[in-house]
Amino acid sequence: MQRSWRVGLLALGAVAVLIVPVPGGAPAGGERSFRIEATSTGFTPAVIRARAGDRVTIELVAMDVVHGLFVDGYELSTTAEPGRPGRLAFVADRTGAFRLRCSVTCGSLHPFVVGVLKVGPQTLLWRAAMLAVIAALGGLWLARR
Amino acid sequence: MSEPDVLRVPWVHRLVRSRWPQLLVTLVLLAGFLVAIVAGFAGSPVGNRNFAIVGVWIAWWAVLMLVAVPLLGRGWCGVCPLGAPADWIQRGAILTPGPRALGLGRRWPAQLRNLWLQNAGFLTLAIASAAILTRPRLTALVLLALLAAALIVSFVFERRAFCRHLCPVGGFIGLYAQLAPIELRVRDKRRCAAHRDKTCYTGCAAGSGCPWGVYPGALDRNAACGMCFECVRTCPYDNVAIRWRGLRNDLVTAPGHRLDEAFKAFIMLGSALVYTAVFLGPWGDLKAAALGVGSRAWVAYAGVVIAFLVGVLPGAFFLAGELGRRFSHSPLTPRRTFASHAAALVPLGLAAWVAFTLSLLLVNGSYALVVASDPFGWGWNLLGTRNAGWTPALTGALPILQAVVLIIGLGATALAAMRIARGTAGATAGRQAAPVVLFAFVVTVAMLRLLVG
Amino acid sequence: MRAESVARALLVLATSTPALVLGVRACERQRSPPVVEVRGRMVNEGGWEPGEIVIGVDQPLRLALVSDDVVHGFGIGKTAVEAVDMYPGVPRNLTLTFDRPGIYTYYCTRWCGVNHWRMRGTIVVRGPGENATADEAEPPHVALDLDLDAPHPAAAVPSATPDAGRGRHLGAALSPDYRDAGMLRTTPPAVVWGRLRADPDHRHRTDQDLWNLVAAQWIAGTTDRVRWEGEQLYAANCAACHGEGGDGRGVMARALAASLPPSADHERARPAAFTDAQVMLGASSALLAGKILRGGMGTGMPNWGAILTDEQVWALVDYLWTFQFGRVGRASAGPLEGHRVSGE
Repeated sequence: MQRSWRVGLLALGAVAVLIVPVPGGAPAGGERSFRIEATSTGFTPAVIRARAGDRVTIELVAMDVVHGLFVDGYELSTTAEPGRPGRLAFVADRTGAFRLRCSVTCGSLHPFVVGVLKVGPQTLLWRAAMLAVIAALGGLWLARR
Repeated sequence: MSEPDVLRVPWVHRLVRSRWPQLLVTLVLLAGFLVAIVAGFAGSPVGNRNFAIVGVWIAWWAVLMLVAVPLLGRGWCGVCPLGAPADWIQRGAILTPGPRALGLGRRWPAQLRNLWLQNAGFLTLAIASAAILTRPRLTALVLLALLAAALIVSFVFERRAFCRHLCPVGGFIGLYAQLAPIELRVRDKRRCAAHRDKTCYTGCAAGSGCPWGVYPGALDRNAACGMCFECVRTCPYDNVAIRWRGLRNDLVTAPGHRLDEAFKAFIMLGSALVYTAVFLGPWGDLKAAALGVGSRAWVAYAGVVIAFLVGVLPGAFFLAGELGRRFSHSPLTPRRTFASHAAALVPLGLAAWVAFTLSLLLVNGSYALVVASDPFGWGWNLLGTRNAGWTPALTGALPILQAVVLIIGLGATALAAMRIARGTAGATAGRQAAPVVLFAFVVTVAMLRLLVG
Repeated sequence: MRAESVARALLVLATSTPALVLGVRACERQRSPPVVEVRGRMVNEGGWEPGEIVIGVDQPLRLALVSDDVVHGFGIGKTAVEAVDMYPGVPRNLTLTFDRPGIYTYYCTRWCGVNHWRMRGTIVVRGPGENATADEAEPPHVALDLDLDAPHPAAAVPSATPDAGRGRHLGAALSPDYRDAGMLRTTPPAVVWGRLRADPDHRHRTDQDLWNLVAAQWIAGTTDRVRWEGEQLYAANCAACHGEGGDGRGVMARALAASLPPSADHERARPAAFTDAQVMLGASSALLAGKILRGGMGTGMPNWGAILTDEQVWALVDYLWTFQFGRVGRASAGPLEGHRVSGE
């Protein structure tokens, strides 16, 4: 097969991966609340899960010093200190994995205090993995004689 | 030849041939380097309000990993304030060679003419990175140590021995420079063959011989060329070209097959994984262990990291390469297969570092605005941006960007693996390359899991 | 040759930037009126630096406050000076002028670890009359010679949360003895309940009704505004150890236990639970105020005597009673902790 044909076929495969909907079920619309404890090394729990459409409430409980919480993607934030928790309430309408970060300098590791909020099916991860398969096989295929 | 020679553009030629633009940039960077050291020792111990941390590990690192290396190869080395003093000392002048050269000019020992010292240096910094990246004083100490080492080595040994054999940053810049879209090569090799004096290597009144110890006439890879442009200045026939080569890279035309380079590739790929897991992952205990240099938890952490970087990862790759070698009936030895195919990992390694660096830049880049106004945490307000808050940028798009970069890197690695295999195994190249590409695929999925999952 | 000299001059310029920077800094410090740089660090890393400042009365004290690690705050005890938040690496200027000589305590106002309350320093204000002993009134627990450390179990506890609202309706018939502010401050609620129980005038009332009456007296003795101030003070200073709900299980309780020496009495050292009726109803407001002022020797309970004004301490005490008695109009929360009916 000519090279340009191969490239075209691979591109078609990539597009297919991108547009085919990933099954994940209809948004549930339930309630989910989380209590996240923040210390200068990280969040506990560090990984929290919700379904798409859930009403999510996060209570940020600072365990030692003043901390903050910022949610990637949703771009929401709150702060807390021991004795005064912070609260975030939002509808998880975006699916994916969103990093949670500390938003108030709380020690040396502050820029790396990270957690994850996973909402619904991890479409980006799956699509990326499948595109990786196409890239790997495609690279081998394209470089053949 | 369809690849354009950038040096034929008159203003580019003037810019490169003149020593002033390069010198001015180098001096500014030198000032910045020294200011970073001062900031680390005399400024606030809070990392995100200190130029030593923000200027070095966010601003400089982002420019290096996202622009300088992918686009200009060893372009940074051409203006690096650690390397330039070597040239000045050995020439006895800042511009053209002076009447008396300083320094002892000893030859670098033969057993150390490789990347092993750089591998060891990078590993040492890597296991202490959590502390270095977050403590201004430690960063200043590291910078000072590098400066001292560069000056001492430059005085004792000839050429840019520090850059070529010691600098931990230079080690990986050279590795990834092989992917850059520009290359410095001679235009006409026959001209070089006829030139008796080879002033590009020996030097003349117009400039020093290649400070990197490279003979430009035979240069076929970007790995060792430091983009200092001395050869452009010393060649009497103007025979040096800087070509724009686009996607064509050195992995295909001149793949390396040295063990030290192979291990450099594994150390870099592995540490991209380790840094992503430690700094961007959700595991607080891991971060605490990485930060507490000297503690028992840190010793365990350091041991595991080193074992992974120089043991587990290369070991797994060796098995993959060996599987492919047997399966494809390749005539090469296992060691040669290992070393040649390790070069295929270079694009994935660069992609992994770009993905990691994107996180640093987009999430914490806003600190650069603050630090530009108050570099030492002394309350200055040079540009009025002292009170700019922490503003993470494009957090929704970040995982997508990282995934795209990793996928492109994997594709380029697969292409390279196949092309290298065609050179070693011939008709059964696919069987040789497949396990190697599988290895790269697993690493890619691990990075995706850490960044996007 | 000329080009080389220019190049060398530029090199000298580039390498002199550190000296330039440090020179500018030195000039900065010299030029302006003298500034005291106060650096804040977590107590384990040194706390306040300096720990003591000396200034003359009516002399402006210029402070440059900066935190070196986490968020701290700078406040001066027993004064109206508003606390200044200190964000790490962000210097803030504050100018203070003291019109009265004496010793002032500055303290950290944002939680910075389990030793946060130990982060204190002193400002010694010199001037005429500095050695005259302060003309302050004795706190009630001293005047009454109360033993702050003795256990004070309530002789009786209610079976459900008292309703101060209902108590207010019933309270019309209460004799002035039970309304005396001084008495209410120095007598524990359980004792007052005991007197009511023994009082023939109230023989017909139920136990719970009598508790409602007691609750009403305690709540009526102050205003919502004062309770609100107490609530703010509690949230900022006490909730971390005693819990937002007053149950003694604040986030710091664990770290507190770990920070005490092994010889300490860990049982006693646990933060008090204000929801525990047995403990609270046997204590008088004066006792509570005394504990707040003096702190608990070696238990980790801070001494607030140098920090809080008398009004603030009473506001805090008034708020603490709401853990037992709620507020007027607040619905009954159900059975209390340590629910046991003893005594008649």
